[in-house]
Amino acid sequence: MLDFINPYYLQIGSFILINILLAVSVYVPLSSGQLSLGSAGFMGVGAYTSALLTINFDLPIMVGVVGGACVAGILGIIIGIPSLRLTGVYLAIATLGLGEVIRVIFVNWDSVTKGSIGLTGIPQIGRELLNLVRGFGFEPSMIGLKNNQFVFLMVFLLLFIIVMATIWFVVRQQNSRVGRSFSSIQMDEKAAESMGINITYFKVLSFAQGAFLAGLAGSLFAHVMGYISPSDFSYHRAVEILIFTVFGGSEVIIGSIFGAIFLTLIPEVLRFVSEYRYIIYGIMLVILMAVRPQGILDIHLLSRVKGLKRSKGGMR
Amino acid sequence: MKVLRKASLFFSVLMLLLLTACSGESTGNEGSTTEQTDEKISAKFGVISYLTGAGAAYGEAITQGLKLAQSEINENGEVNIELVIEDSAGEAEQALSASQKLMSDDSTLAIIGPTLSTEFFAVAPEADLNGITIMGTSTTAEGIPEIGDYVFRNAIPEALAIPTAMEKAIERTGAKKVAMIYGNDDVLTQSGFDTMKKTAEEMGLEILTIETFQKGQSDYNAQLTKIKNTNPDLILASALYNEGAVIMDQARKMGIEVPFVGGNGFNSPQVIEIAGDAANGLIVATPWFGESDEQKVVEFNEKYEAAYGKRPDQFAAQAYDALYIYADALKRAGEADRELFHEALAETKDFEGLLGNFSFDEIGDVVMDVKVVEIKDGKFIEFE
Repeated sequence: MLDFINPYYLQIGSFILINILLAVSVYVPLSSGQLSLGSAGFMGVGAYTSALLTINFDLPIMVGVVGGACVAGILGIIIGIPSLRLTGVYLAIATLGLGEVIRVIFVNWDSVTKGSIGLTGIPQIGRELLNLVRGFGFEPSMIGLKNNQFVFLMVFLLLFIIVMATIWFVVRQQNSRVGRSFSSIQMDEKAAESMGINITYFKVLSFAQGAFLAGLAGSLFAHVMGYISPSDFSYHRAVEILIFTVFGGSEVIIGSIFGAIFLTLIPEVLRFVSEYRYIIYGIMLVILMAVRPQGILDIHLLSRVKGLKRSKGGMR
Repeated sequence: MKVLRKASLFFSVLMLLLLTACSGESTGNEGSTTEQTDEKISAKFGVISYLTGAGAAYGEAITQGLKLAQSEINENGEVNIELVIEDSAGEAEQALSASQKLMSDDSTLAIIGPTLSTEFFAVAPEADLNGITIMGTSTTAEGIPEIGDYVFRNAIPEALAIPTAMEKAIERTGAKKVAMIYGNDDVLTQSGFDTMKKTAEEMGLEILTIETFQKGQSDYNAQLTKIKNTNPDLILASALYNEGAVIMDQARKMGIEVPFVGGNGFNSPQVIEIAGDAANGLIVATPWFGESDEQKVVEFNEKYEAAYGKRPDQFAAQAYDALYIYADALKRAGEADRELFHEALAETKDFEGLLGNFSFDEIGDVVMDVKVVEIKDGKFIEFE
């Protein structure tokens, strides 16, 4: 009984949820027309901040995660203001450079980050939660679960709640004054400015939100993995995150979510072909991008589906 | 709120799909679980290896070494070993997922791998927590066996190899002043450098300069000019072979003729191929000396070449030995039980493997003699 609560599936589920956060962190700046490739860097900042806070100062994970996300967000504001003058591909290159600078700092700041060896012994969310519920006299065996099943289930549920809250926030924001400003800036910056929208404020806001979300994802990643090293935050990661969003469809948030789920799942599902799985993965990307350059999901597709169902909810 | 409900519905459906998709796959494996026959002990070992991506050559050598050992052991007939090989693509998360997959199968007795130390640091605490023995065959970084009781390795740590090489090199050359160069963005070279620096300080050597480089760099003239100006007796280079060979080539062109002492990653026949005559004077300590004329090494070379069409490297040799160590522990454990197996493995002592006399110390680290070799006239010879 309850065998389906398998650590393996839940582990992948947790990575999917973290990747969704990362994909959304690219989506938000993109919704105001800014292509940011700094997610990997901000993720690293969040991860290292949170890991160092919890290891060196024995702070609760909660504080570490919030701290990590905030530090990344503040860095986002600091970087966001000067890079406002850049648009499109130039901003992409600048942020990619930023990510690499951050990674090199992790590598070289030996005394704090332990260089390329990375940080070990980061407290893990699941085990802390297990200790917490045990403090209340609750044992996983009381609901027929093994300890490690319980741990992974709790991590998954916690991440699920965080991701749902994030998506809810982003969707709400999109249908608000702020979201409308974002999309007007995306459509035409000059026109938006002449309509009285403070583009500096909104551009920095969306960029910093992206940085905050990436930092949040990074700090959660650190506490799920229990070990981080600078190689986790290289430009490979930045490109991977960008692919989630672009592949799934960058016009709608559901596209980023779908991209993250699908592209995290595929390498695992393809495990049975072992060496060939990344070849298949690559071929799939090429074909799908050739057929649907705007990404799998876009507004037209969604409204068609909606038309079929005759519902009128505003999910985008 | 409607949005939220829709989104959560979408999510639940996807998660359900994920669960069913995965479970469908795993039931397919059920049939091949451990079968206990009367005379033979059967066991299933999980292997996590770096099979796709930039470092796939390491993973390939390791799995080939394992497979060769597996076929020999099974032919021998005392125990029957099944290997389940999973790819990690060199990424810590992938390695962790793969290890969860292996560990959630109750018939997995123990795990070999993952390939990189960065992957190993993520996977080993999880295996240790689940009480599953895990052994690294290529993880040389510091702090690996300290992770837990169930964590072992048979890869020679830098802390053992480098001091041996340095001592021998200094004994012969009488060097007093050294210059150092290392790659600071790689776990292996960084940890090798730490060991070199510590050993140099302990031996009372004067360190003239410390230079760094990054992975994939192709021009080292700036660092080498500085090193040349300090006029060292010996250069300590913690580099992987592909960068290391280029460094040696450029150093010799610049007129630096002193010997180089390298770490484990520097030890590859590729160095000679890339640097040619410039490779002469490289001194490394290695568990594996492929040119040795010992009977077992020659035989292994022949078998490996017959099976895979190329010569084995140290990763293949270490993996080959690792499976023999596992098989030996399994024989002594008497049955495929995780606890008994762990105890038997920890007691491994004076095991005569391909690489020599092998034991585990109390924390599961390697105790064995290492050989020091140097490149002379375009080939590796034993250092005297």
